[in-house]
Amino acid sequence: MIKFDQVTKRYPGSDEILKNVSLHIEAGEFVFVTGHSGAGKSTLLKLIAATERPTSGTVLIANQNVSQLNASAIPFLRRRFGLIFQDHKLLYDRNCFENVILPLRINGVSGNEAAKRVRAALDKVGLLHKEKAMPITLSGGEQQRLAIARAVVSRPSILIADEPTGNLDASYAADIMAIFYAFNQVGVTVIMATHDALGMSATQNRVLHLDQGQLTQSSPSITGINQTAFNSDVSTS
Amino acid sequence: MNNWLNHQLQAIKLVLSRMRANLLSSFMICLVVGVAMCLPSLFYVGVDNLSKLTDHMQNETEISLFLKLDASRDTISEIDRLLAKNSAIKQYHLVTKDEAWQQLQAKSKSNPDVNDAVNQLGKNPLPDAFFIQAKSVEPDDLVVLKTSLQRIPGVEQALLNTDWAKRLSTIISLSKKLIFFIAALLAIVLLVIIGNTVRMQILTQQDEIKVSYLIGATNSFIRTPFLYAGVFYGLFGGLFAVLMILGITLTFNYAIADLSSLYNSDFSLTIFNGSLFLTVISTAVLIGWLGSYLAVTRAIASIIQLQKNH
Repeated sequence: MIKFDQVTKRYPGSDEILKNVSLHIEAGEFVFVTGHSGAGKSTLLKLIAATERPTSGTVLIANQNVSQLNASAIPFLRRRFGLIFQDHKLLYDRNCFENVILPLRINGVSGNEAAKRVRAALDKVGLLHKEKAMPITLSGGEQQRLAIARAVVSRPSILIADEPTGNLDASYAADIMAIFYAFNQVGVTVIMATHDALGMSATQNRVLHLDQGQLTQSSPSITGINQTAFNSDVSTS
Repeated sequence: MNNWLNHQLQAIKLVLSRMRANLLSSFMICLVVGVAMCLPSLFYVGVDNLSKLTDHMQNETEISLFLKLDASRDTISEIDRLLAKNSAIKQYHLVTKDEAWQQLQAKSKSNPDVNDAVNQLGKNPLPDAFFIQAKSVEPDDLVVLKTSLQRIPGVEQALLNTDWAKRLSTIISLSKKLIFFIAALLAIVLLVIIGNTVRMQILTQQDEIKVSYLIGATNSFIRTPFLYAGVFYGLFGGLFAVLMILGITLTFNYAIADLSSLYNSDFSLTIFNGSLFLTVISTAVLIGWLGSYLAVTRAIASIIQLQKNH
């Protein structure tokens, strides 16, 4: 599904953020990206989400080479992803319902179908009763759940989350993690960057550890392979 | 195709609801567009009507030949004979002093002031006159004819009325050029105003635009609502302009009708000038579209640039 081959990323006037990263993420996997801040986690996610292009090397997403992709094709590639940001990137000038409907508008879904899907997404994250509320009145955890609802409303096959629990206390974070696991259970690929201690659950998943732009698979690679096998079993059954 | 139509409808709905939410400022912008469109249009209406009037006058190639007050019947028939022989004359007719006097009295009845003045005269002050239609409409030929007629004995004065009409028409063609430049300047002003307004809107919706790009919005998805905003400013502004032009010409028309009745003419301004209104509205729409297109292209390029740097 997602394949990096010798990917290097450098911004103008900076050192290499990512150095020779090669990785392969299968459909249906739940992958953590860990590392200190500045290790290149966000850049890795941006390359996966095709908001950045690699300086060298190839990034293949669903067998499409991002570097060679036409600029006009990028938006359609991005619609395969649900993006969740640490700072939510919610729109504070409109209510929850209007926030969640935005990706559907972009996809050209409207009317009753759109309203139904927005409510389904809000229901999944437990915010159905807040559809008329303005985001600013929500707690931090609720805002992050709203951002998740917006990311999943267009039913993407891949969820990319950049430190979604970074600003939340433990109980909220556990809520958020439970939601991600639930999506992974129904076959959605989840790629999550996190810099804090992963907690118990993380050990069951593949971990891509970045250290100063270089990839070191911190969890035993055997675990990773098993996990991949396990997940592909689930998705095929 | 259906998807495209759906997208357009959504964008229109979005823009109209945004305009309703900022009703006062939207109204102001449309009003500015309306006034800016109205100014050259009014100027045009004035000049256009004047030029119709002078065209009409220039086509009247009539020479008035006033005879001396003491002209006898013999003199009149002698002149009549000369005119009949003149090959440059198409037709002519005689209005005797008595006929002219009766006409004047009949016409002045409707206006009490003039009527009083006419009655006070007591005696008929009008001369006999020939009204001559020349064969040629060329100004030079007319002048030659006029001079030859002037020389006939018993003629007090030969009058050719087209001289001042000719001068006026030259001034009018100059004014038409002036209108073009005024309109062009105002179009530039409108481009800047609409462009700036749309740019401000883009700035207030910067967050939405950034997020939309991240979740897969195409350029046209971002751009369309702003283009429609520009088009609507133009459309409503153009409609305002048409209303203003209508109101102003209507007001003027009463005054002009009074004036032209004094000159014994039924001249009045054309009130409903369909092609002018269509031009005003479509020009305003075009300017609105162009202004917002320029603004949105520049602003979006800078937003994308900004996003790349973060």
